[in-house]
Amino acid sequence: MENLGYLGAAYAIIFGVIFLYVIFIQRRQAKLDERMRAMEARLAEVRDHLRRRSAD
Amino acid sequence: MANTFTRTLAALTGLLMFAAIYMTFVFVPTEAEQGIVQRIFYFHVPCAWVAFAAFGIVAISGIFYLWLGGQIWDDLGYTCAEIGMVFCTLVLVTGSIWARPIWGVWWTWDSRLTTTLILWLLYGGYLMLRAMAGDSPQVARFAAVIGIVAAADVPVIVVSVRLWRTIHPAVLITKQGQHGLTDPRMVATLLVALAAFTALFAWLLLIRFASLRTRSRLAALERELNLIDAAAGDL
Amino acid sequence: MAGFVAVLRKDLTLELRGGESTLALVALSILILIVMVFALNPAGGAADAPIAAGALWVAMIFAGMAGAARTVLAERDNGCLRALYLSPLDRGAIFLAKLAAASIFMVVAEAAVVLMLVLFFNLDFDLRLVRMLPALALGLIGFAALATLLAAISGRVHAGDLLMPLLAVPMYVPALIAGVKASAAALGGAQWSAMGQWLRIMIAFDVLFVAAGFILFEHLLGED
Repeated sequence: MENLGYLGAAYAIIFGVIFLYVIFIQRRQAKLDERMRAMEARLAEVRDHLRRRSAD
Repeated sequence: MANTFTRTLAALTGLLMFAAIYMTFVFVPTEAEQGIVQRIFYFHVPCAWVAFAAFGIVAISGIFYLWLGGQIWDDLGYTCAEIGMVFCTLVLVTGSIWARPIWGVWWTWDSRLTTTLILWLLYGGYLMLRAMAGDSPQVARFAAVIGIVAAADVPVIVVSVRLWRTIHPAVLITKQGQHGLTDPRMVATLLVALAAFTALFAWLLLIRFASLRTRSRLAALERELNLIDAAAGDL
Repeated sequence: MAGFVAVLRKDLTLELRGGESTLALVALSILILIVMVFALNPAGGAADAPIAAGALWVAMIFAGMAGAARTVLAERDNGCLRALYLSPLDRGAIFLAKLAAASIFMVVAEAAVVLMLVLFFNLDFDLRLVRMLPALALGLIGFAALATLLAAISGRVHAGDLLMPLLAVPMYVPALIAGVKASAAALGGAQWSAMGQWLRIMIAFDVLFVAAGFILFEHLLGED
């Protein structure tokens, strides 16, 4: 059972890195979702504005 | 990530990965010469497979981008470059961890590891280009060209490094046992691990690609919205 | 064909008129060679062939990185890239012309380095140098092609001068390995047959990069 440390380190790193990458992807996605919401809010504003103007 | 297909793929990946771990740690017998450290091999090789496959897709999407246009190809290339970089790094790290107890060195200039190192540098260059140059159709074209040329270069790199190494056996430390899989259980374990990592690659590709597509579409929409805003403001 | 000649003549004329940059390139190449000698500390004698070959190629690459890119970067500095893009010239022809000009500049620098190499390492002007020539020529063309291609990219990118070696070095590896091996063999007195496999690799490399540059250069000239 010598070298168990090396084996453990290798697998820990593999899964650790993959896990971190998945977190990275999810964080980026969350930021995009936020931008999307801001975009939808702006769109609503512009739509509102145009509606009011055409009502004049 | 809410997509049913993506969810199924994630589940499949989890299952296969679980099977791979079980087989690597419980099912497969310990290799005679190298001991338990040899089990790193079963995950080291699939990482290399993903790293090289991803690179191929970077090149192919580059070709499609230059040929057909369409931001979607650029997004695909960028996704695969990212994923490939992650797995290429894992190949090098696990290779190093494997080499240390077996041969007493952190690094061996054997042909496979050296080629992977160069691949890692190529990935690095590609990603640095994108990081430094930002986002624009011009940069996408540049990246596509780099991806294509680098991928075309890889076979030449493989041949030259292999030749380089066969001439210096004294310095060379061969990864014996890599294809000397004596027990059919070893072959089975490797195949399951390969399947698990292929599924993982596909899943990561899907979720990251979806993310980049959203980003590209958002950027395009924001540009349009700015124009509308300006126009509406003038009136 | 006419386009190729026109661009090539333009680049060479520019260089002949303001030739200091070629001179600087030659000086830089020799300096790098000297640095390598200090760094590698050759013992003196026949066993130095590998060291001499290595030093030679390092000098070629790093000087080449500075020099070979000039043919493209000069266009950028003078705003001429757009002019080239708008012109009806065949893009592949433009690439070949730039490649030819870069090769010529590098040949001049290389010749000086080989001369210095003979002096520093006490070599003879004999057949061994001649046998080294194919490797040098092939390596030079390959590097010029690679540098011309990459300069079109890195020249347009912020902090591109750092990016270029970052991309060039890993891509050049096969030619570097083969070139150093072939050169060391030649300097060590080996016959042509010993170098065959290395020269074949270099030929493949050159074909790849010249063809890639020829086909893909148009995508590098455009603008947003």
